[in-house]
Amino acid sequence: MTKPTKRLGPAATALALCIGLVLSAQASADDLEAGKKIAFDRSKGNCLTCHHIEGGPLPGNIGPPLIAMKSRFPDKAKLRAQIWDATAINPHSIMPPMGRHRILSEKEIDLVTDYIYSL
Amino acid sequence: MKKLIAAFGLTLLIAGCNATTPEKPASLKAQYEVALKNAQAAVEKAAAVDGEWRDIRWKKSKKRYLPSAIKAAEAGDYEKALKLLEIATFQAEAGYKQAMEQKNAGPRF
Amino acid sequence: MKKILTLLLSAGLMTTAMQAVSSPQEDLEKFRLYYEQRFPGIQLDDFGNGPYALDANKRMQWESMEEFPPYEEYVDKGREIWETPFKNGKSFASCFGEDPSKVRVKYPRWDSKTQQVVTLEGDINKCLKDNGEKPFGWKKGKIAHLGAFLGYEARGQKINVVIPDDPKALEAYEEGKHFYYAKRGQLNLACADCHVQYPGQRVRGQMLSTGLGQTTHFPVFRAKWEKASPDGDGMGTLHRRYGGCNKQVRARPFKAQSRQYRNLEFFHTYMSNGLEINAPGYRE
Repeated sequence: MTKPTKRLGPAATALALCIGLVLSAQASADDLEAGKKIAFDRSKGNCLTCHHIEGGPLPGNIGPPLIAMKSRFPDKAKLRAQIWDATAINPHSIMPPMGRHRILSEKEIDLVTDYIYSL
Repeated sequence: MKKLIAAFGLTLLIAGCNATTPEKPASLKAQYEVALKNAQAAVEKAAAVDGEWRDIRWKKSKKRYLPSAIKAAEAGDYEKALKLLEIATFQAEAGYKQAMEQKNAGPRF
Repeated sequence: MKKILTLLLSAGLMTTAMQAVSSPQEDLEKFRLYYEQRFPGIQLDDFGNGPYALDANKRMQWESMEEFPPYEEYVDKGREIWETPFKNGKSFASCFGEDPSKVRVKYPRWDSKTQQVVTLEGDINKCLKDNGEKPFGWKKGKIAHLGAFLGYEARGQKINVVIPDDPKALEAYEEGKHFYYAKRGQLNLACADCHVQYPGQRVRGQMLSTGLGQTTHFPVFRAKWEKASPDGDGMGTLHRRYGGCNKQVRARPFKAQSRQYRNLEFFHTYMSNGLEINAPGYRE
């Protein structure tokens, strides 16, 4: 039992590394797609209720259109914080605190942030 | 092929070891009973200040975290029950906190 | 010196106390002024038409729909309910008076005997019970049909909620006011967030109405309720709508005719005092 595994060792490591690299490169495109899905989903992010997003059907206009996000939020962490709890900066903000009230999970907020940041 | 089988066997062994380590059902049940009491108290506290959220126990909610937890426990799935109770407790506490923060809400134009 | 200090201090205390609770009349004036300034050119009564007052396209569609309004058959049903005698031979007129056009304008009202807000629906079911009849459901069906008829008969009269100078009545009003402005539910939204801060703007394809004039057209025929109803009956009461709103912000709705919703109705309707009753209305 030991012999074959030992022999497998270096090859397996190399293979794992390869797959890992490919996966992480691919993940960002997939992640963006996943983030978009959450953003558009009415029972999840439901961003379109209030925000215009390129390619999103029937957007509302309560909030500002989500465009040129990198210039509006040079610091991505600030964008994430805004999504997590907009009332931290403005207690009267109409935007639901997606993270503070666990409307989305932390992982989902990461994905949505990545997606919104790409707009 | 031989190599593959060996690797597979190893994985199974590791997985098998992992599966036997968690607490026994008895202590999970005890944990559940404490968590249930906490959740129920938190929900009553939120309800008392009109701060209860939709999905905790309202009859028309599709989620109904609190009754669903009790159902899961009755079916013996304490892990699921504990997860649901955690959500119910969080929501109840957040609803109570919200009602307290909004205590002085009034006209703003 | 001491005297002056005490005087100054108590004067200071007085003003803070006065700031804390503004009178209903002051609240109403500020509320109305806010919308009139925000939407100049819209006539006071037109605020009762919700989004159709604010958007020309929606108004055109609505006006053509109003030529054959879908609520008409329910007004007729309501008239039948009004006219049909109870088993004891009496009818609704024995509770509300002979003239059906004089009913709607009295509601919601403060009942000094029971020290609570009484709604039209509350008195409809009380009348049924007092006459040995089975009460109606609170949110839709017969109660909304009768309400539609009584509203239709009262069209053109002005909303006139009276808040008597009674601490308990003011307390009820204050509770309703607080409800309107307090954020609630997982989505953390107050009635005012949408209908004070963002009227005229859209959530998805729907335009938010102004808080001013929101209660004048109830009971309402909603296209959304029409679709959800097996027989296409889209009529519903104000408390049905309150429940729907609370559900959407992911708060647990209160029961129709709960103290919370009755007090909300008290404040909410008072804010539209002076506007014409235009019930039943149509909404998407």
